[in-house]
Amino acid sequence: MHPLRKQRVYAIVTVFLGIVIAMVLVMSALSKNMNLFYSPSELLNSEISPGSIIRAGGMVASGSIEKSSDSLEVMFLITDFQNSLPVVYNGILPDLFSEDAGVVVKGFLQEDGTFFAQEVLAKHDENYMPPEVAKMLDKVE
Amino acid sequence: MIPEIGHVLLIGALAVTFIGGCLPFYEFVSKKDYSQSYVKLFSILTVFLVTGSFICLIYSFLVDDFSVAYVATNSNTLLPDYYKFAATWGAHEGSLVLWILCLSLWLVGYMFSKNNVNDSFSSITFAVMNQVIFAFILFTLFTSNPFERLLPFSPLEGGDLNPSLQDFAFTIHPPLLYLGYSGLALPFSLAIAAMITKNIDSLWASNSRPWSLLSCAFLTLGIGLGSWWAYYELGWGGWWFWDPVENAAFVPWLISIALFHSLIVTERRGVFKNWSLLLSILSFGASLLGTFLVRSGVLTSVHAFALDPERGLFILGIFTYFIFGALLIYSLKNTKTQSESTYSLTSIEFGFLLNNLLLVVLAISIMFGTVFPLLYEAYTNGDQVSVGPPYFNILILPFAIGLGFLQGIGLFLGWSDTKDFSFLNRLVIEAMTVLIVINIVLYFLFGSFNTGSLVACLLFAWIVSGNILDVVINKRSVSKIKSFLSFRLGAIFAHLGIAFLVLGIGVVSSYSSEKELLLSVGESYDLDGYVFEFENMNVKRGPNYIADVAILKIRENTKTISLSSEKRNYLSANQETTEAGIVADLFKDYYVALGENLQGDTWSFRLQVKPFVRWIWFGALLVAIGTFISSIKLLRKKA
Repeated sequence: MHPLRKQRVYAIVTVFLGIVIAMVLVMSALSKNMNLFYSPSELLNSEISPGSIIRAGGMVASGSIEKSSDSLEVMFLITDFQNSLPVVYNGILPDLFSEDAGVVVKGFLQEDGTFFAQEVLAKHDENYMPPEVAKMLDKVE
Repeated sequence: MIPEIGHVLLIGALAVTFIGGCLPFYEFVSKKDYSQSYVKLFSILTVFLVTGSFICLIYSFLVDDFSVAYVATNSNTLLPDYYKFAATWGAHEGSLVLWILCLSLWLVGYMFSKNNVNDSFSSITFAVMNQVIFAFILFTLFTSNPFERLLPFSPLEGGDLNPSLQDFAFTIHPPLLYLGYSGLALPFSLAIAAMITKNIDSLWASNSRPWSLLSCAFLTLGIGLGSWWAYYELGWGGWWFWDPVENAAFVPWLISIALFHSLIVTERRGVFKNWSLLLSILSFGASLLGTFLVRSGVLTSVHAFALDPERGLFILGIFTYFIFGALLIYSLKNTKTQSESTYSLTSIEFGFLLNNLLLVVLAISIMFGTVFPLLYEAYTNGDQVSVGPPYFNILILPFAIGLGFLQGIGLFLGWSDTKDFSFLNRLVIEAMTVLIVINIVLYFLFGSFNTGSLVACLLFAWIVSGNILDVVINKRSVSKIKSFLSFRLGAIFAHLGIAFLVLGIGVVSSYSSEKELLLSVGESYDLDGYVFEFENMNVKRGPNYIADVAILKIRENTKTISLSSEKRNYLSANQETTEAGIVADLFKDYYVALGENLQGDTWSFRLQVKPFVRWIWFGALLVAIGTFISSIKLLRKKA
């Protein structure tokens, strides 16, 4: 084969293989690490198998934060002003976590209907509303 | 008065760049005589106008002119002067002016790096750069004017600069990052000029190389600083979160690396021409797309400046104009880009091809994961989804292994074909020796052995052996070693930097310890052999905040270290921030973040020990130094 043509074949085959392998990798990594977002009302009506990792968000209901006095356990309600979802978290809350502020939690539903949060996200700006929560509240209104 | 002057200067720059963006095209079509070129003069003029405008904005901050809306929202009288100065680029509007300033500095840098700019190639490069600057000034003036006044009811006191941004690293992180981002406009402009003036040759490649290296160096510094800042400022002890904004900088970084490697081959061997052109377009495209993602607020991110769809649309317009325009020129160009040489499967050309393939596919996969939530939402009519960090962690591993492998053997491969493969045996032996030594060191440092870091250690050993160890062992004479080192200096620094970075990542992710818990004054906790004792609690007053300060003692074997960790309350915004207490030595960081007061003298704490975490930023610094060295060498050689 002409060297130039041979070289072109190498290049094309390599690129093709690279892309196929990458696509397989992307798809498998994605299918395991997609976390769907739910509002409290959506969670109430949906059938999510307990244990699968999801995200939920809403406003922290005023007066709902209960802190344990001898451990890091915290319980609070997040609400979309129609329904609310009890959340349990074991750890240090972010600085911007507070009542009547938007919050997104990542974790799973437990058998008793409470949400066990592995992560609580409140962002780094006092005016900031998580986009998911903002969109959700728009829908409710 | 001063803000108006700033506004007028910016409008002046708009006019100058408009002329500079159109005139050269007209001249090119009418086949003008290029002996008297005005491009240097125009470039200087643009820089003066933009710098003047920027200084006016800084001045408004320093004198607390709260009649300017941007100053009123992002500064106040309590803020120390240094942060008033840095607050200029603390939010969207001001950072855009800084962006424009960076672009015009690149323009002037390029025009003055060349003795002779009296030709169509330089002239078209100048024009494309001017169009980019014009578009960004237009964007600033129409959607985000920093000089807008709040009259007649201007506030007496301003808001505040976001407390977590009141910090030294923050003040230099954005300028460096913007220099990197905006620097990619230069290889882009050069590629367009090469296509239009039909100069797709090694001269174009050698013109473009130092600038793509230089942008990559600034991006590296910017990203590294950002990571360091997030580590000590956010109180989580993490140094990378796969946040969309981090990805928006990481993707152009990867592509710029691919670009300057590909340009080497184009310059030296006259192949990969089309690919280098495409990468030049792609890297600027990634930089613009990153800007769009950050500024439009379409993605959940810590950095989302403003949720403003109008701005998003405008940037999307800029993106479409430049990238689709460039791709159109690319597809219409009827110059034959003949390959000037051939290569085999065992040549360095093929090595560069693999390097580019890995870098670009990785960049695209990361971009895909970043925008996937948007695609999903559009496809399912509003269902929201997020892609977790594990996606990116799984993805990057095979690419890192491939790239690390190539870095180890790359310097031994020959152009066109490699004749002698005896280096492989030596490399394997040397790498294995290094691997064993590192693992013994790790065992002595941490008293245990963790297999999680094995891949990172192996890559480190391989890259170090391939880039420096083998040379030092096998080049017989000192003068030979010296000449090799001075020729390869930049590449060696950069590759060793990657090796340290990879080792740091591997060790910190497998040997770290972390615990969140409650401690009362006097209590202590044993975290894997490090005893943290909570000594007492103080209150401290800063210029614009009050802080609770916890004092801790850490005991490791016979050594005792004192550390203080703060929880600050910034008065004007009534906002709490965590100032983690960090004590660092060469091999590990002690990291303590103070939580909240539960009752009496009981506080919650996050205690961490992070071995080798500094090596990550040290590695990034080496990469930046290496790329700086290479680009400066190339610029010198040309001049």
